[in-house]
Amino acid sequence: MMPQYEVALADFAEGISAWRMWGRLGWQEIKRRYRRTVIGPFWTTLSLGVFIVVLGIVWAQLWRQDPKAYLPFLCAGMLAWTMVAGIITEGCMAFVAGEGLIKQLRFPHSILSCSVAWRNLVVFLHNLVIFAAIAVYAGVPVTPASLLVVPGLVLVWVNGVWVATVLGMACARFRDVQQVITSVLQISMFVTPIFFTPDQLGPRFEGFVDFNVLFHYVDIVRSPLLGRAPATWSWTVTIAGTILGWGFTLWAYGRYRGRLPYWL
Amino acid sequence: MALIVVEDVTVDFPIYGFQKSFRKEIFVRAIGGLIRREGRNSSRVTVQALENVSLKLGDGDRLGILGANGAGKSTLLRVLAGVYAPTAGRVLIEGRVSPLFNTSPGLDMDDTGYENIWTCGLFLGMTREEIAGKMAEIADFTELGDYLALPVRTYSTGMLARLGFAIATAIDPEILLLDEGLGAGDARFAERAKKRVDALVERSNVLVLASHSEGLIHSMCNRAVLLHGGRVVTAGGVEEVIEAYRRMNAAG
Repeated sequence: MMPQYEVALADFAEGISAWRMWGRLGWQEIKRRYRRTVIGPFWTTLSLGVFIVVLGIVWAQLWRQDPKAYLPFLCAGMLAWTMVAGIITEGCMAFVAGEGLIKQLRFPHSILSCSVAWRNLVVFLHNLVIFAAIAVYAGVPVTPASLLVVPGLVLVWVNGVWVATVLGMACARFRDVQQVITSVLQISMFVTPIFFTPDQLGPRFEGFVDFNVLFHYVDIVRSPLLGRAPATWSWTVTIAGTILGWGFTLWAYGRYRGRLPYWL
Repeated sequence: MALIVVEDVTVDFPIYGFQKSFRKEIFVRAIGGLIRREGRNSSRVTVQALENVSLKLGDGDRLGILGANGAGKSTLLRVLAGVYAPTAGRVLIEGRVSPLFNTSPGLDMDDTGYENIWTCGLFLGMTREEIAGKMAEIADFTELGDYLALPVRTYSTGMLARLGFAIATAIDPEILLLDEGLGAGDARFAERAKKRVDALVERSNVLVLASHSEGLIHSMCNRAVLLHGGRVVTAGGVEEVIEAYRRMNAAG
């Protein structure tokens, strides 16, 4: 177990630069899911759109909020959450699903994790159509801060790659992990301020949101969409997450990459 | 310039979840390997697929690996392909390795023939320029004509085999790894297929072929090893190793 970091770094460098490969894999996977359907990937968009509009109108009533303020907030939050949660759940299957390839060929396995993150980013971009429609209806302002959505998405992708790598390995070795992750995510969706704003939690619980890592990854995409700059704390948490996450991933991947084919 | 050095390589397969389907896993992984228990309370079960295997191959070598089912032939090929990192020992490989265990990695039944040539070609290590340059030749060899523009799920088994074969044999390998040779299609096609495999082998620097067919090894190789229970029993010239293989089979 000698130069572990170098092995991991080389694999990621080679994997990430093979963008044609993961770009193609991600894209094919999306196409595959909607083969022979008329509107293709827009099926997710459609169902998500209906969900957001119906839920948005009802909950705006329940909580006595202005639909024109609540709908864009809910929509931007749901889109970002769908992407983040999608990367996490599909990341669990990154290597298990690639078993056929991993056992046949020598290639940078990180291509598979890049493809998971990329695929979910593409789905997010499809779903932006919903937000565009709602933004026009509600008159969401386009400000210079809106441009921050680009670094936000880049940051989500960069983190998505390590998350998919780590979870992909964990799930290849311990098949229970995926079940755990799925249940935790289901609950997190209701705990993370997506359906409500953090200040609605009241002074006693508001502070807990600061420790919810998922919230910050949602926020760096959601706030720019709403024309606001994300909080400094959100940038801090997500950038720290990137550094710590990658550090851990390079260690773990360097150590266990060789074992991965044996686990599958 | 291609070089393969394998020194004292041992491969142990861990068996996970053996309580559920222990027998099944054993049969899938290795029939004939050595089953061992390791660790506290013997809770870890491993199957030893290769034990202290050493090899050295250079340009012009055509190595045949003989052995019964579960002797470790495929595992050895996968070690050479860089799929399995050996549990112990050292592997040094210089040169581009082309493993043709599955002639069409990444094949998607819903994609067209042309699209699959792209995907499989990329997975087999071809660059975009290479694929583009060889597209016409591959398409021509498959004799599929306009079918290439249709999803491959509309193909017959033979047509699919021909497509996979044409893609796989289009590569320019330095080190070519073959499991049980390559075959495709009907009798008329078989003649052309043989020529194509010969040409592929001809332009690769090193060939490693695993098979239990003496004839295949005899016709394609100039060196051979005989594996049994994950160990090299005999190594040397083709005739000599085939003779040892026959004796082993006769002894049961």
